[in-house]
Amino acid sequence: MSSPLKTGALVVLAIVMLALPQVVTSSFAVDIFIRILLFSFIGVAWNLMGGYAKQLSLGHAAYFGLGAYTSTIMQIDFGISPWIGMVAGGAVAAVASLPIGWLCFRLRGPYFTIATIATAQALMLIFLKFRDFAWGAEGTTIPNLGSSPLYLQFETKASYYYVVLGLLVLALFITHKIEKSWMGYYLVAIGEDEDAAEAVGVNAPKVKRDIYMISAFLTALAGTFYTQYIYFIDPATAFSFSISIEAALVSIVGGIGTLWGPVIGTVLLETTSALLQSWLGSSTGGIQLTVYALILMAVILWRPTGLMGWVNEAMQRHRERQPARPRTAP
Amino acid sequence: MLETVVQAVINGLLIGGIYALVSIGVTLIFGVVKIVNFAQGEFVMIGMYITFFLFSTFGIDPLLSLFISMPVLFVAGALVQHYLIRRVLGPNDMPQIFLTFALSLLLLNLSLLLFTANYRTVHTFYSDEALHLGGLYIPVAKLIAFGVAMALSGALWVFLHTTDLGKAMRAASQKPDVAVLMGINPNRVFAVAFGAALALAGAAGSLLMPFYSAYPFVGQVFVLMAFVAVVLGTLGNVVGALVASLMMGVAESLGIQFIGADSGQIVVFAMLLLTLAFKPSGLGGGRVR
Repeated sequence: MSSPLKTGALVVLAIVMLALPQVVTSSFAVDIFIRILLFSFIGVAWNLMGGYAKQLSLGHAAYFGLGAYTSTIMQIDFGISPWIGMVAGGAVAAVASLPIGWLCFRLRGPYFTIATIATAQALMLIFLKFRDFAWGAEGTTIPNLGSSPLYLQFETKASYYYVVLGLLVLALFITHKIEKSWMGYYLVAIGEDEDAAEAVGVNAPKVKRDIYMISAFLTALAGTFYTQYIYFIDPATAFSFSISIEAALVSIVGGIGTLWGPVIGTVLLETTSALLQSWLGSSTGGIQLTVYALILMAVILWRPTGLMGWVNEAMQRHRERQPARPRTAP
Repeated sequence: MLETVVQAVINGLLIGGIYALVSIGVTLIFGVVKIVNFAQGEFVMIGMYITFFLFSTFGIDPLLSLFISMPVLFVAGALVQHYLIRRVLGPNDMPQIFLTFALSLLLLNLSLLLFTANYRTVHTFYSDEALHLGGLYIPVAKLIAFGVAMALSGALWVFLHTTDLGKAMRAASQKPDVAVLMGINPNRVFAVAFGAALALAGAAGSLLMPFYSAYPFVGQVFVLMAFVAVVLGTLGNVVGALVASLMMGVAESLGIQFIGADSGQIVVFAMLLLTLAFKPSGLGGGRVR
């Protein structure tokens, strides 16, 4: 795609995204848009480490939960605005990623994945156990202050939509910057073959630690946002395994290690889920994840590069048919 | 005090036998096929439901249903290996991890759809029986489960060390390329290994049924335990997995006895984290991978 065309497409996309909640006012629809943006954001954060460096974490709920709890505790116990709490939560998550990463990165491949699951579960158990500082299993509701944008509380869903849209843009921008930097190349090298990358001088432990911090920081922001959006927090929601699953799932289905993959994956999966719910009602437990599992299996068996890989192949073929090839994709 | 400790150790060993069946399966697949089967727990769950329905429909005793659940899951395992796993083998981790993970997700949620989230139990004539040795209390159903689990583990060890197919399996796990040169058909060996691992999971399901409830999420309890045991016992090492599983059972049971009823899992995670921090290659030594 030529550059002006790309810019044009982005401008159109930006206008559509900004106008969307003004045009579509049904709160059911806006709720689905918010879910799509939120999980796109989490997916993009996961993809930084899982997609580019192929460190396949299934424990990102740990950071989602830490973010959610940090801002909630700061707001309820100290009256500090969740906007500040959100950044503080990100910082807590980034710091927590250091010891967690130190432990988990000792294992590679599938056992890294298992270790991340275990750390997220362990954090959930800790928050279930210690009711003195985090309300235990019952959780707590977030005090409703009515319309108070300074406390990340709004009357209309459209406002939440713009907040999470901003988060997604931030994450995409960071990913884009990293993709174009040395770090991006280091990450891909580690993802391809960690030993080979180290052999040519990539400091793999440091690169992995850094990207894990960034990924954890961003995931924690989503935790704060979600808690403020649903006005409720408990360990089972904040550290829910399904958040870890969805973060990985949307990236793989959309296209692992690509800028837009997680977004496209989320649009597909969340739309499917919304359609299933409207056809079958929400009472049928298990149907949504059954369908997700089937989609995931189909993608892995037939399209391991995800939907983005399919789009790229199609574009490649289109390009090859033209006489003068502009430049090969990186 | 001593009696309480001994009782807790016995409880732990008895349940540890079941953990061993699951972890030996995980470690066998990891050793031979070189993948981690995230769905292993769901096959325990399927074994439990098979046993439950055989009992509730035909009145077949859970111990007899071993002879049905094990072959059924062996065939299921060979088919899963042949039609799914075989297609994603290679140097790339991502498809392997997420294929078995998707399988786990699929089986779990399908059973939620088909069987609902209700707890299903089987009550046999020996479900409530127990031996009293001095002040110790040993439930018969758990003792039988432990005995059969140990016998099956021993049978697997004998199979791996004395039969041609077993030796071929070990050869394929140690030096896959050389094994192929020696005329070992990797696809056949992989299918048998996967089948055997799932048969063990099925056996665990049948043995659990007289004293444990079946529900769609039940596999998660056992698979997490198995993963920790497999790391602790050195990846791919069958005897290591067995010993580690028994240790985990005892640690969990002591945790429940002395720290609190809901602390079993915390003890397990603590063991995993300590292993990773101080001995990431597992108790058996060897290479981490």
